[in-house]
Amino acid sequence: MVGFGYGVYHYLESLKSRVTTEKAVAPAKAKFSLPGSVFVAQGGALYRLRAGSFQQIANGGWTQPSPGPPNQLLAVKRDAQFSDLYLLDYDGHVVKQLTHNANTDVHLNHWSFYPHLSGDGQTVYYSWDPKDPGNFYRVDLAVYAMPVDGLQRQARAWTDPNQYTGGDVQPAPLKSGGLIYAKFGLTPDGKNISQLWLTTRARATGTPLTKEEDGCAQPALSPDGKRLAMVCTAAGQPSKLTVADFDGKALGPATVVATGLVAAPGWAPDGNGLLYLSALDTTGHFQLFFQDLTAPAAPAVPATAKPTGPATPLPVPSPKPARQLTTNNDYDATSAPTWLAG
Amino acid sequence: MRQRASRPNQSGRFLSVRFVILTLIGFLLAGGAGAGAYFLPALAAARQITDVGPPNLGSVTQPSAPVIDVSGNLQPFTVLLLGSDNDAKFDPNQVLTQSMILVRVEPATHKVAMFSIARDLYVPIPQNGTAKIDKAYAFGGAKLAMATVQQNFQVRIDNYVWIGLEGLVKLIDMVGGVDLVTSNPVLDDYYPDDIHSSDPYGYTRVAVLPGAQHLDGIHAMQYVRSRHSDLRGDFGRSVRQQQVLLALRTKAKSLTAADIPDLASTFNGQLKTDLSLDRIRALLPVAAKVQTQDVKQTTLLNYTVGENIGGEDVLLPSDWAAIHALVHQDFPS
Repeated sequence: MVGFGYGVYHYLESLKSRVTTEKAVAPAKAKFSLPGSVFVAQGGALYRLRAGSFQQIANGGWTQPSPGPPNQLLAVKRDAQFSDLYLLDYDGHVVKQLTHNANTDVHLNHWSFYPHLSGDGQTVYYSWDPKDPGNFYRVDLAVYAMPVDGLQRQARAWTDPNQYTGGDVQPAPLKSGGLIYAKFGLTPDGKNISQLWLTTRARATGTPLTKEEDGCAQPALSPDGKRLAMVCTAAGQPSKLTVADFDGKALGPATVVATGLVAAPGWAPDGNGLLYLSALDTTGHFQLFFQDLTAPAAPAVPATAKPTGPATPLPVPSPKPARQLTTNNDYDATSAPTWLAG
Repeated sequence: MRQRASRPNQSGRFLSVRFVILTLIGFLLAGGAGAGAYFLPALAAARQITDVGPPNLGSVTQPSAPVIDVSGNLQPFTVLLLGSDNDAKFDPNQVLTQSMILVRVEPATHKVAMFSIARDLYVPIPQNGTAKIDKAYAFGGAKLAMATVQQNFQVRIDNYVWIGLEGLVKLIDMVGGVDLVTSNPVLDDYYPDDIHSSDPYGYTRVAVLPGAQHLDGIHAMQYVRSRHSDLRGDFGRSVRQQQVLLALRTKAKSLTAADIPDLASTFNGQLKTDLSLDRIRALLPVAAKVQTQDVKQTTLLNYTVGENIGGEDVLLPSDWAAIHALVHQDFPS
């Protein structure tokens, strides 16, 4: 009888919902192999996915890996109250600390996020929070650029963020020397907006690439620079992973390739596919997906905007279903996967 | 011989029946004990959370609407959600409410309306003069907070739910975190460092990055609580609070009765409500059916003006008639 009572207790326990029992796990093997190496972040650790298996290369606050100089990665190491940019080798060893944002006065600390190397490999673009001496409460990120082999004091601002909005993030440098980035703002009636902007030189006003109401961010340029992936979240709607042609000045026809809770697109080294993160079930754990963008090409949909104006992503599903690489991981969705040929 | 033979048989049958009955009772007791042990934390917590702590407010409070009508349908009702700092800065029984959200649930149509009330709104508080509305709870608990909202906004409130900071963090962690698209980078150099801290007046820096992501309790709290670097101040925070509530509802859809003990032990004094178990039970299927597009979200942005009264920054209603018209679109008086 005691056993029966014990059994009732455990039977009831077994009826608990998955959401209360699900725990994050270390990255498990991928369902299929991709050529080259993919670097992802999960729980403050960086992992290298190669030949279908994950290997942890660094642990302790690491996120946002991106391609660096030859055989190196750029990455962010995040502390509770500041973050810094580093150069790492592919085994996770620190080659160089690029920024030094810690301060003994906590309010004088800084954040650095979203590092990206310029096309010529000489400059690191990233988001950083300058202090406003006139108002200590204001903390907005702006896009900065610094020499990859230089010092942080050589960094200069590239953008002027809207005040008290969170600012400008996610720089995607062009080979031509310009920059695409996401700018956050507010509409006159107080709604949050995010918009992709193109700027060709530091502190220039630039031009919008997308419409305010489309809520686009997370730009990722294809290796040849002719296509732009982005995540657009019109107010109250699920996110849309969208790909549009880019001629260096404006976006062309746009295609939605995935919807739902999607984030962090990263291109294949040959530009024929995209990796992205998506949470499919109630656990909210983001998994890695691959979207093949080779023929048959996704049908191009005429944008409603003028050719020179911002493109509008349209809800046209991709003809090729995305392939899910992992099923029980828990990736950091603010950190795009980096896919390298080597 | 037959009689002699029949006695042991009758006696044996009686013993067998008695044995079977006793065994069944034993199993029932054992099963009941197992179930009791499982649900005991929930029962204990139920006694703890049902607390109103009322001052006598006479006619300013109204009786709750019936839960279910004569046809057995769940009736529409309005709940006042209250969220408080409840750290060492405050007397546990006299905390301010950083968040006040009216929620109207229409079970038949599965529609929900949410209306955030700015914490700095300067209003008459029954029997307590005029003050920021976030002080109503500190002056007289949930009943006074309800009465203040009812009187000023001319709405009927049926129930309240109060949750403390740690309670919300624990609730979000207990359901495995929330999944949402954060609206913008939320950065704050003067974020209160008052949870698990020895200095309740301390500050820290936080940065919640934009985009789709999974947030645990602490980071979800940072997202909804930060206000210093938002041009809209408390209004911006209100929008984020409503967003996280909706994300929490999505997770709550998956909860079952077997999760109740975990939920109950999670709160440990961090939740108070006068919602009856009948209403909670009736609410669960409704919550599962509500679609995001059927949720209307409203704030008082553009309906107030800033003012300094007695050295205190407050918000004054710019036009009560317009505010009442706005509120009464979704909340009956």
